[in-house]
Amino acid sequence: MLLENMAMAFSAIRVNKMRSILTMLGIVIGIGSVISIVSIGDTMRSLFADIYKDVGLTQGYVQVMSWEVDDWRQSDMFTLDEMEQVKEVFGPEIAYIDSSAGTSGEAVFGRNRVNFDYSGIDWNYQDVQPVTVVYGRYLNEGDILGRKCSAVMDVDSAMKLFGTENAVGKEFRTALNGEVLDFTVVGVYRKEMSPFQQLMMGNTGDRGSAYIPYTLLTWPNDYFDSLHVYAADGINMEDFYNRLTAYVARMKNRTVDQIYTYTALEEMDSVDQLMGGLSVAVGGIAAISLVVGGIGIMNIMLVSVTERTREIGIRKALGARTRDVLLQFLTESAILSAMGGILGIVIGAGLVSLGAAALQVQVVIKPSVVILAVGFSALVGIFFGLYPASKAANADPIDALRYE
Amino acid sequence: MKLWNPGGFLKKKGLPAYMTENLTEELIRLENLVKIYDTGAIKVLGLKKINLTIRRGEFVAIMGQSGSGKSTLMNILGCLDRPTMGHYYLDGMDTASLTPNQLSEVRNRKIGFVFQSFNLIPRTSALRNVELPMTYAHQLSKKERRDRAMMLLERVGLGERYLHMPNELSGGQRQRVAIARALSNEPPLILADEPTGNLDTASSVEIMELFSKLHEEGATVVLVTHEEDIAAFTQRIIRFRDGQIISDERNGGKSTCS
Repeated sequence: MLLENMAMAFSAIRVNKMRSILTMLGIVIGIGSVISIVSIGDTMRSLFADIYKDVGLTQGYVQVMSWEVDDWRQSDMFTLDEMEQVKEVFGPEIAYIDSSAGTSGEAVFGRNRVNFDYSGIDWNYQDVQPVTVVYGRYLNEGDILGRKCSAVMDVDSAMKLFGTENAVGKEFRTALNGEVLDFTVVGVYRKEMSPFQQLMMGNTGDRGSAYIPYTLLTWPNDYFDSLHVYAADGINMEDFYNRLTAYVARMKNRTVDQIYTYTALEEMDSVDQLMGGLSVAVGGIAAISLVVGGIGIMNIMLVSVTERTREIGIRKALGARTRDVLLQFLTESAILSAMGGILGIVIGAGLVSLGAAALQVQVVIKPSVVILAVGFSALVGIFFGLYPASKAANADPIDALRYE
Repeated sequence: MKLWNPGGFLKKKGLPAYMTENLTEELIRLENLVKIYDTGAIKVLGLKKINLTIRRGEFVAIMGQSGSGKSTLMNILGCLDRPTMGHYYLDGMDTASLTPNQLSEVRNRKIGFVFQSFNLIPRTSALRNVELPMTYAHQLSKKERRDRAMMLLERVGLGERYLHMPNELSGGQRQRVAIARALSNEPPLILADEPTGNLDTASSVEIMELFSKLHEEGATVVLVTHEEDIAAFTQRIIRFRDGQIISDERNGGKSTCS
């Protein structure tokens, strides 16, 4: 019976093509905008997840909120011993930890002067931030513990400073925290990035960057203000950072409120919040156009019922019960509306894909969202089709048969 | 193979009590049937105390001028309308107590309608039109319905045209589709309301011969007409005037066509 109703509905819709398409328009716009915004949101989320995966989704920074506490004290700073202590206590839960040290300075090679950003890292930084070393080697434990002036840089930076990619063995001079040091390049690496990542990371312009042993940057007093941690994969991040924060608070004799913990997850949340705000706005527009579209469907179904009064009379004479006629017209309005929904999905998803193609981004359209959208538009059709269908179902067979 | 063969295919299981076969001698019995049309300002007496019995297997013509009450009677006999007073027993069951949905079921199973203006569903193939009453009966599978509809269309000589839409068929062909549709649930009663009113003489004869054949096979056929030569095909002619039966006479039998 359902299949027959659907066949009847399709043939009725086909007879009035133009009218049906115009009627669907409201639903098309409503569902189209919902699909667009949801898939834009999902795409953004997956892009940011991608970027943070690269940057390290499990990473976080922990420090005492020196800008919040009235009684700042020397012990609010971390020492290398304390860092070792944290590493021991949390064991395998910590994949990587360093002093979060970084600085910048002018690197000098012959007559070349390039502004460089230096990041202090430990020898196993490559575990959490994999790169392809193309020349030479990565920093090793000897560089770190021996506080050697060794540097690893990316190929672009090497080109800027030395005019060649293979800069292994070349030396340059730079001032770190007022102390002039001569560095030796021990390795050059390459990192692959998608066009969108490059766009988001921004152009580094004429600046260069290099990894150096973190022990150089804590020198000479070995104090630093924050811990930079990568949690191991597969552990509960929220729980881990809560425990780490609590541990640091105890270690520093501070309350948990006075410890500042910033994680990549929070960054993701802020993206979600932005998208959430946008979703509410577009959702409002979508809701209005769905209601308007639903009223359009109700209107056209009333016309259809009037036009087909005689057909309804014939069906009743042949034994159609109230329910049979009701279901026939409800099916028709549901299909009309669902077709509008499908059209809206195609148009919405098409526009988003076009935009994404222009940005060379992989668009995310979840099947669950598509199914939900079609289902919801069918529901709109059923809701607004109820009145016309019940009008048809309750028609008096004699009057309906006499109708011209 | 017979066109009309009641009980030949319908599965009778699961039918409500009012639908089960009674097989009384009388198929139709009207007792003091009164129909009053209440239009608010005035009351019009449509039928005045009609008493009438039609036995199984009869071939009856109801004749009368327009306004004589014959259409009112057809609506009541077809369970499309209810009497104001009196009783209408169809197949031994009083129809007065039935709800609109139960009346729908009665129309579906017990009555086959043939209308003056054919009343096929537009933009729907002959086959689907014939299938429709079986669809509403919910007794047969899709394939069974299709096979039976095909068989009926072949019996009325339209086997080749099963995919044609009503507007692609001539008047006579449309009426034959309508007859096939009326037979699809093997109803005990076939009600035809001026079935030849919109047809030329040749088609009218074809249609009447079809009804005669049905009658020979044992079907009960009641038709309304105002044409004497159409009524001449029947066995019994009941004449109406002003909402009353003025004559009820046996007809000699089949007449040849004029």
